[in-house]
Amino acid sequence: MAGWARAVRGLLLDVSGVLYDSGADGGVPIAGSAEAVRRIKASGLKLRLCTNETQATRENFVKKLQGMGFDVSVSEVTAPAPAACHILKERGLRPHLLVHDDLVPEFAEIDKTNPNCVVLGDAAENFTYANLNEAFRVLIGMEKPVLISLGRGRYYKETDGLKLDVGAYMKALEYACDVQAEVVGKPSKRFFESALAEMGVLAEQAIMIGDDIVNDVGGAQQCGMRALQVRTGKYRPSDENHPDVKPDAYVNNLAEAVDIILQQM
Amino acid sequence: MAARRALKAVLVDLNGTLHVEDSAVPGAQEALKRLRSAPVTIRFVTNTTKESKRDLLERLTRLGFDIAENEIFTSLTAARNLLEQKHVRPLLLVDDKALPDFTGIGTDDPNAVVVGLAPEHFHYEMMNRAFRLILDGAPLIAIHKARYFKKKDGLSLGPGPFVTGLEYATDTKATVVGKPEKTFFLEALRGTGCAPEEAVMIGDDCRDDVGGAQDAGMRGILVRTGKYRPADEDKINPAPYLTCESFPEAVEHILKSML
Repeated sequence: MAGWARAVRGLLLDVSGVLYDSGADGGVPIAGSAEAVRRIKASGLKLRLCTNETQATRENFVKKLQGMGFDVSVSEVTAPAPAACHILKERGLRPHLLVHDDLVPEFAEIDKTNPNCVVLGDAAENFTYANLNEAFRVLIGMEKPVLISLGRGRYYKETDGLKLDVGAYMKALEYACDVQAEVVGKPSKRFFESALAEMGVLAEQAIMIGDDIVNDVGGAQQCGMRALQVRTGKYRPSDENHPDVKPDAYVNNLAEAVDIILQQM
Repeated sequence: MAARRALKAVLVDLNGTLHVEDSAVPGAQEALKRLRSAPVTIRFVTNTTKESKRDLLERLTRLGFDIAENEIFTSLTAARNLLEQKHVRPLLLVDDKALPDFTGIGTDDPNAVVVGLAPEHFHYEMMNRAFRLILDGAPLIAIHKARYFKKKDGLSLGPGPFVTGLEYATDTKATVVGKPEKTFFLEALRGTGCAPEEAVMIGDDCRDDVGGAQDAGMRGILVRTGKYRPADEDKINPAPYLTCESFPEAVEHILKSML
């Protein structure tokens, strides 16, 4: 029946659009998702939240999810900011940050004086002309501009509609400075591989479940994982016929995916 | 040499060609008078995102040029024409000073997006409004896609980066209406009844004025005033039809050799 659901040892879950829909009010859980997470954990399958969310620290992010009834912890989260800090330290980079105010604490240990690169996150209301101009001036003043983007999503869904994601602003600065950004987070291979390593599961034994057909599904498949496209979150009917990405299956939501997977175990 | 069609229209760039900032190019007013004695339609063309035709007319009149408002064609005019052709209602992300050029175009319940240089509109909320319209099928029209421009306190982002971001987010391509796009030159000629092969463009920007015009099928005359730098004429292929000192010399050449 569902061949794709066999021989699974771990699940990577996107968060926004799979577990809940974000919004100014904090967000709304997606029906059946909290129960689905409980069932995954009870089944013995390994679980990893693989998210590009950069509007909060991992602590606050997890607190919010727990408040909505999700049984998850910080140790189960793979997120871009810590991955970016690794890279900044590795390469002696001092960032000018254009990120959401609530993400800044993730960079507390990083030297931000005399910046020699720009780190771009999902800054939402901080994406003002003045802030973008400031980031632009840092880049254009460098001989070899270094732009690190936490993800490259085009948009995401909030409770009050679709909103521009960091990718749009990454492209804006790339165009302005004639430079190519380095992406930390989905769909970068390094990001998925670190999630698998943290989970202790091989790619062939893992399934990624997400609402972003390119960055979640396509990105995961390129690492040798199976991947499912949910019809919640930012999903749009045109995703059923994507010219480049063929998910291993389309499912209505996380609950349905977990039903099918657990049936095969 | 192949037989050329007779010259019927002359497009003239403004800043850098007829005048440089607030001073007329020496002899330009007189040269324009002489050009008007010829059987050609004249259009004054420029990229701008915040000067209405009225503003431009005022400046040119002050400098002693005899010009009618309907002879002026700007990238804003090109955008307006496109909106009228498509019968759409725009969300206008343009400088307030540009709004007079859109009078008469309905903006309620927009189903198109026009982007000019308008930092006051490039905040997250407005960008999201534009994004959602375009994602739902609204055409995106860009006055131009300049990456940045020089201000007194340094370089500043132009409209190009914001247009690019919207294109990426919506997986669509903007229609760019300013120089050096073909659309600009063809639109400038619309209403003159002249084909590109019957027209010549005079300008100081080798790539945007002369290159763009020649790509549209016109001939181009490069003048050595304004932003011209030595050897600019070597930077485009084919080279300008003619390179000369300034607007008066260009007019002389037209009167002597192109009619």
